[in-house]
Amino acid sequence: MLSLLIFLPVLGALLCWLLPAGQARWVNLLANLATCVLAGMVAVEAAGSTSYRLEAQHAWIPAFYGISYHVGVDGFAVSLLLLTAFVSTLGVLASWNIEKSPKGYHAMYLLLLCGMLGVFCALDLFLFYLFWEVMLLPMYFLIGIWGGPRRQYASIKFFLYTLFGSVLLLAAVIMIVLKHQTWSIPELTAAAGTSGLLGGGAGGLALAAFLGMFIGFAIKIPAFPFHTWLPDAHVEAPTPISMILAGVLLKMGGYGMMRIAYPFFPEAAAGMGAVISALSVIAIVYGALVAMAQNDLKKMIAYSSVSHMGFVTLGLAAGTPEGLNGAHYMMLAHGTISAMLFMIVGVIYERAHHRDIDRFGGLAWAMPRYSVLASFAFFASLGLPGLSGFIAEITTFIGAFNGPYKLAALVSLLGVVFTAAYYLITLQKVYLGQTPPAYLDKAHYPDVSARELAVLVPLALVTLWMGVFPAMALDCYRDVLNGLASTLSAAHAAVVAR
Amino acid sequence: MDLAALLPAILLTAGVLAVIVADLLGRGTSPGTPLTLAVGALLLAGWAAMHVPTDGRLVLGALRADRFGQVMTLLCCGVGVVSLLATTRGEALRKPGGEFLALVLVAVLGMSTLSMAVDLVTLYLAFEMVSIPSYVLVGMRRADRLANEASMKYVLFGSVSSGLMLFGLTWLVGLAGGTSLEALRAALANGAAEQPVFYVACALVLAGFSFKVSAVPFHFWAPDVYAGAPAAVGGFLAVASKAAGFAGLVRVMGSLDLAAPALEGAERLGRVWPKGSAFLGLLAAVAVLTMTVGNLAALRQREIKRLLAWSSIAHAGYLLLALSVWSQGALAAMLFYLVAYLFMNLAAFLLAGVMIRELGTGDVEAFRGLGRRVPWLGIAFAIVLFSLTGLPPLFGFVAKLQVFTAIFEQGYVWLGVIGLVNGAISLYYYARILSSMYLADPEGEVKVPRLSWADGLLALVLVAPVLVLGLWWGWILEWARAVVPVTLLGMGG
Repeated sequence: MLSLLIFLPVLGALLCWLLPAGQARWVNLLANLATCVLAGMVAVEAAGSTSYRLEAQHAWIPAFYGISYHVGVDGFAVSLLLLTAFVSTLGVLASWNIEKSPKGYHAMYLLLLCGMLGVFCALDLFLFYLFWEVMLLPMYFLIGIWGGPRRQYASIKFFLYTLFGSVLLLAAVIMIVLKHQTWSIPELTAAAGTSGLLGGGAGGLALAAFLGMFIGFAIKIPAFPFHTWLPDAHVEAPTPISMILAGVLLKMGGYGMMRIAYPFFPEAAAGMGAVISALSVIAIVYGALVAMAQNDLKKMIAYSSVSHMGFVTLGLAAGTPEGLNGAHYMMLAHGTISAMLFMIVGVIYERAHHRDIDRFGGLAWAMPRYSVLASFAFFASLGLPGLSGFIAEITTFIGAFNGPYKLAALVSLLGVVFTAAYYLITLQKVYLGQTPPAYLDKAHYPDVSARELAVLVPLALVTLWMGVFPAMALDCYRDVLNGLASTLSAAHAAVVAR
Repeated sequence: MDLAALLPAILLTAGVLAVIVADLLGRGTSPGTPLTLAVGALLLAGWAAMHVPTDGRLVLGALRADRFGQVMTLLCCGVGVVSLLATTRGEALRKPGGEFLALVLVAVLGMSTLSMAVDLVTLYLAFEMVSIPSYVLVGMRRADRLANEASMKYVLFGSVSSGLMLFGLTWLVGLAGGTSLEALRAALANGAAEQPVFYVACALVLAGFSFKVSAVPFHFWAPDVYAGAPAAVGGFLAVASKAAGFAGLVRVMGSLDLAAPALEGAERLGRVWPKGSAFLGLLAAVAVLTMTVGNLAALRQREIKRLLAWSSIAHAGYLLLALSVWSQGALAAMLFYLVAYLFMNLAAFLLAGVMIRELGTGDVEAFRGLGRRVPWLGIAFAIVLFSLTGLPPLFGFVAKLQVFTAIFEQGYVWLGVIGLVNGAISLYYYARILSSMYLADPEGEVKVPRLSWADGLLALVLVAPVLVLGLWWGWILEWARAVVPVTLLGMGG
């Protein structure tokens, strides 16, 4: 069933290519809806499970250290599968009116979906790396062909950055496979125990391989100082692709950390904990400050992503159960909230053809429904209690404070304050105050359409639901991450004892 | 005397004569006959190569008939066929004359011989049998000044480096007291390997091979030659000629460097050149320089054939890097990479030829919007370029994976990382072509190329293997691992 889930989009992409251009978006929508249904069925089976469910394994290239086609999901992976299917489906609605080569666009979109689903299902390192890289190709074209004015620069920067990260990841993978003679992720995780692969410990080869993997995944997250590709990519990407980029692609970095880098090298990770915490805090505070300085609405949200993703690495570095669960909750919450934020930017950009915060004003009177949704998203992102962002931040903060790096946890609070500041300032500048007469023109500035509502409202509902009933989402993956947390704390104790 | 192993060579020679005669007799009346004959001779020779004895017997005391030579003959014949057919779809020399065809056949014959040679004099002769037709092939378009310049450069560089090589070979003959590699091996076993003159000779011979595989610092001819020659000839030289150079190098190094038979089955390399020896260090340095110079220079190219030329220099660097590690795994990986390189680089050159033919220029900027106007050509070219970069799930990725795994396996982590980072750099210039084809908006009047079904067939034949073999490559790996010990290391079988 997982194979069907992964490769159904490829079938859809082929159909997009064969059918007339007008049908492409329908094919895309249908494929995405089917993906949602399948992901839901997978979730019923695997939610809350600590073991891999729906496993399928076939020998592929036995001659090369036993590469196999091996897929399976546990509760942790399935939570991201659901997020992917959900955000991607809404992304299709957001790209309903793409006019430039719609066939190519929707085919690429579906190939991207295949890559994303594949990454979360792969249990073989070779297969994982394959999907990890395959995803880059459609992304490169989606930003490069359908993006904004500086799209050529942004797309190649994105591509090069992630490829450099992937290359370091590949180097680490080759070292691991040569030593342990297997590509299987479950087997390698078992072999790692609480010490780590490649001889374990917090130094030597294990540290080198961990750093290679860490940088590879950190570029994707993106963690400071590897984040500089993100603002460019976001600003130039079309709205739906920004949604996917922020909603799903960034989460792959976190997934890679929690599924591969940390379980494979717990002691090396523990040894680097202080550095990673420091980088996380810098990302949180610096990201928020840079976001505050932006005049471009989309760039501001891009930097807010950098800031929020800092919480993911902060929770990881702490290695406590609350820290890991909070970090993953942040990924899920940010996945939906940032998708909503980018859609909100897209809505106004479609009407105003600019994104300058200073040139807006009083939109609340021109587009009331839109402004309510925008405020909702802003408050969700700044961590208003009752919405999902708050749960994520508070859990991560508690986790970090229970962990070894309490100072980092305290400083990160500063970021929360700055985040509130820039969102409130922006809210005031864009939606409140005097409305320039141009924006009152109903013909050019209609309120949100039904299609746009169909994108925004589900995202808002999920944000609310995750804020009020966090237990349901948490139950899906908690046991998996608690297991990882006990490994990490044992590793940390071992490193401290030395 | 048993000449069965020479059947491909005999067929090729017959083909050369037949082509010349047919060209003389039929000029004007049947222009297609020589081409048919040449392709037929190559196909026949390739077919014969599949059936020659491969038991490692010596032929005329100068050639060894084994699976390595067999495979190289087969590959070179294949490249020859595709190049000849692609010439008719390329941007120049679309109706190849008899002399052109005969020269290609002679070059293929030389390549086949080079991969089988176990005698120093034969080796040198085969080497020149590849070089001399190549000089002429490049300068074939007499009216074209660029082609003349390229040919002249090629001749000058070629003669200097083959002079150096000949000088090195004379030292080796002196050391061995004979011209066969077997005699040299015996001499090395008796202490000749410790003499400084041996290292000087090795370096000189390496210079000759460096020219053939376009390794730094003997690479300067490559960009001019590949850009000055028709794309099909450029592809033929970049692929077949380079493959033959590597085949010769591997043959010589493998024949000389055998460890004691007691190590049968295990790693048998490393007697003359143990791990960390000066010669392998030199090879590694040349490899790193070659890939880095190739990649950095390619960043600045605007003309597609020049860009591909520099990229092919960079790929020679990866191949040399595998060679410098000097283990059985690395040799198998090198063979694997060679096969991948052959498919993807030939495809790149020949598709470039089709595009230059239609657009009248090889300037990357001229490809604006081509990807969307001729989708299948765009997709084919994109696949080839991504494969050259080494992105999965394409053949180029698996080949790089093999090479770097072999390098890491021997503990050369830094060499591996340098190579991998080089691969990432190469994305920039390959993506620039794609950026022009897809991302940039066309300016002014757009010329829509008229492409026939033959162009489509050519693209399909060239690109399908790059895609399919990227997913289904276990059998090539097993084959490469089997060929290396059986033939190069003189093990039974």
